[in-house]
Amino acid sequence: MKRIDSIIRPHQLDEVKSRLNSLGVQGITVTEVRGFGRQKGHTEVYRGTEYAVDFLPKIQITILASDELVPGILEAITAGARTGKIGDGKIFVTALEEVIRIRTGERGETAV
Amino acid sequence: MMQSIYKRGGHGRAILGRAMALLAVGLFAGSVAVCFADDPKPDPAGIATGDKTSVVDAGGNAFVVAEPTDKTDPDYATKKKAFDEYQVQVAKEPLAVKLADSVGHVRVATNFAWTLNTGYLVLFMQAGFALLTCGLVRKKNAGHLMMLNFAAYVFAFLAYYAVGYAFQFGAVAVNAAPSNLGGVPTLNHFLIGSGAWGFLGGKGFFLLGPAYDAGSNVFTLFEVVFMETAGYIIVGAICERITFWSFLLCELFIGAILYPVFGCWVWGGGWMSQLGTTMNLGHGYVDFAGSTVVHAVGGFAALALAIILGPRLGKYGPDGKPRPFPAHNIVYVVIGTFVLLFGWMGFNPGSTLGATDLRISVVAINTNLAAIAGSAVAMLLWYFMFGKPDITMACNGMLAGLVAITAPCAFVSPTSATIIGVIAGVIVCYGVLFFERVAKVDDPCGAISVHGLCGWFGAVSVGIFADGTYGAGWNGVGASSYLGHAGQGVTGLIHGDTHQFLVQLGGATLCAIWAFGATFAVFSVVNKIKSMRVTSEVEEEGLDVPEFGMPAYPEDMAVGVEV
Repeated sequence: MKRIDSIIRPHQLDEVKSRLNSLGVQGITVTEVRGFGRQKGHTEVYRGTEYAVDFLPKIQITILASDELVPGILEAITAGARTGKIGDGKIFVTALEEVIRIRTGERGETAV
Repeated sequence: MMQSIYKRGGHGRAILGRAMALLAVGLFAGSVAVCFADDPKPDPAGIATGDKTSVVDAGGNAFVVAEPTDKTDPDYATKKKAFDEYQVQVAKEPLAVKLADSVGHVRVATNFAWTLNTGYLVLFMQAGFALLTCGLVRKKNAGHLMMLNFAAYVFAFLAYYAVGYAFQFGAVAVNAAPSNLGGVPTLNHFLIGSGAWGFLGGKGFFLLGPAYDAGSNVFTLFEVVFMETAGYIIVGAICERITFWSFLLCELFIGAILYPVFGCWVWGGGWMSQLGTTMNLGHGYVDFAGSTVVHAVGGFAALALAIILGPRLGKYGPDGKPRPFPAHNIVYVVIGTFVLLFGWMGFNPGSTLGATDLRISVVAINTNLAAIAGSAVAMLLWYFMFGKPDITMACNGMLAGLVAITAPCAFVSPTSATIIGVIAGVIVCYGVLFFERVAKVDDPCGAISVHGLCGWFGAVSVGIFADGTYGAGWNGVGASSYLGHAGQGVTGLIHGDTHQFLVQLGGATLCAIWAFGATFAVFSVVNKIKSMRVTSEVEEEGLDVPEFGMPAYPEDMAVGVEV
C-alpha cells in the first residue's frame, strides 16, 4: 500500500481528476494549500505599497493505492498536471502502514 | 484573556452614559421651551404652506408685487408704479389671485416631492459607504465596520435631532430662507450673533415648536442625511482600531456640534454666507451641495482622529516603511462606489431644494462628468506609476471627482466640471501616497484624501471656474445686476471675479482648520481620560468578536459553530 501526495496547479485539477477516474481510482482527497518553491513567489502593489506574494495557492491531492496501481497513477498525475512551466508541482510517494474504513472496520488492502 | 476583553471599556461606557444623560435632560428642557409669542405660526399639517406668494415665473420673478417701503430707494417710483398696477389687476381679476394660491401650493408641493426623494437617495449612500469601507478592510474586522456604519446613522441622527438642526438652521429664514419649500419663516432666531453676523441658530431644538412644521421637516430630512454623510466619512480613517464607545462619542460630537456650526455659517444664513453684502466678497462664501460643509468637515475630522488613534498594528515596519493590508472584498468596494454615485444624483441635484429650478439637469451632468474624469485619471495615473491600475484607487478617484464637484456643480460648465474631476483625480492619488508614505497617517480607505483634500479643492474651484450663468442674487448679492451685467450669477477667477476666489480660498481653509482643530482638541482630551483604541490583543484577533461577540463570517470562527 502506498500513499501518493501530489502538489499541483489548481487549474490542472480537472485534468488530473479525469485521468485518475479513467484509471479506476476509488477515491481522492483534495486540499487547498499554499507554498513556495525555488521561484519564491513574486511582488504586487496595493494602493501604492509593494508587498510580496510569498505563498502561491496550490492543490494537494492525496490518493491511497495498492502497489500495483502506483505506476499508472504517477503517470496520470504527471501527464495531467504538466504544463512545462515553473510551478507545475511535485509528487511524493510514501509507504502506508495501515488503512481502516471507519464504517465497517475493514483493514488493509480491502479498506483502500 | 476573554475576561480582560469584556471588562475593558467600563470607563468608556461611563463617559458615553453621561453624554446620553445630557441628551435626555436636553429633551426635557426642550419640551418646556416656549415660543416667541408674536412669531409666525408653524404649519404642521402643511395646509397653509405655499400660496400666491410662492408663485414665480421661470426667471424667478414673483407673481405678487410687494409694496415698496423704502422711500429713499432711487427705484422707489418705478416700484411703486408696478405695485399700483398690480393692485389694479388684482381688483379686476380676483379669480386669478385665487388660482395663484393653488399654483403656489402646487409649486411648493412639487419641490417637497423632489427634495424628499433626493433626500432618500442621499440616505441610501449610507449603504454604499458601508459596502465600500467594509470591503476595504481585513476580513476579521468586517462586522465591526458594518456596525460602525450602522451606529453612525443612529447616534448622529439623535444628536442632530436634539440640537444639531437648531444650531444649523434655527435662523435660516433670516438670510437664507428656502423659498422653494415655503421659506420656513418660523426658523428666524440666532442663538449667537444676529443679522448678517450670525454664528449659531437658536430655534427648533428637538424639532419642537417652530420646527414642527411641514416645510421645516422636508428641510430636516434632507439636511440630516447630509450630516450623516459627514458622520460616516470618519469611519474610513479610524476603522480597525477604535472602540465602539469612543466612536459613538465622535458621532454625537459631529451631529451636535462640528457639522452644524460650520453648516450654520454657510447654509443657515450665518456670517460666511453674508460676506458678499458685509465685506464685498463676491456672493459670500458659496458651497452649493457641501464639498466643504459636508465632505471637508468629515475629512479633516477624520485626519484629526486618525492622528490621535495612530496607525494600525503592523502598518509600519520597524524601518518605518508602510505595509499594505489588502482589501478583503473588492466586489463590495466597487458596488459601494456605484451606490454612492447613484446617491450623489440626489446629493447634488437635490441641493436646489426644488424641481422648479431647472438647473438640476446641468447639475446632474456635471456631477457625472467629474466622477468619470476623476476615476479615469486615477486608473491611468496608477497604470503609469505602478504598471497596473488599482481597483480601489479607481473607486477612490470616482469619489474624489464627486466630492470636488459637489460645491461647484451648479455654477460651472460641463467642460469645467470635467477639468475639476481630472484635478481631483490627481489630488487623491498623490494624497493617498502622501499620507501613507510621508505623513504616515494610517487611513485605510483614503477618507482624508478623498473627502478632506478634494472637498477643500472643490470649494476653491467655485472661485476659479464659476461662469456666472447661475446664481444671480445668491446670498442676497447682485439680484438686479452683478459685475455690470443683469442676471450675472456666481463668478470665478477666470471669468473675472477675484473677490469670489479669495472668499472661497479663505472659507475652505477655515473649514479645514475648524474641523481639524475642534476635533483634535476635543478628542485629545477624551483619549487622555480613556484610550479610544482597543487593546493590542483585540486588534490582532480582529474587532468583530471582542467588541460585538460575533464574526462577520462565522466560517472563520473556531470549532463548534455550524456554518
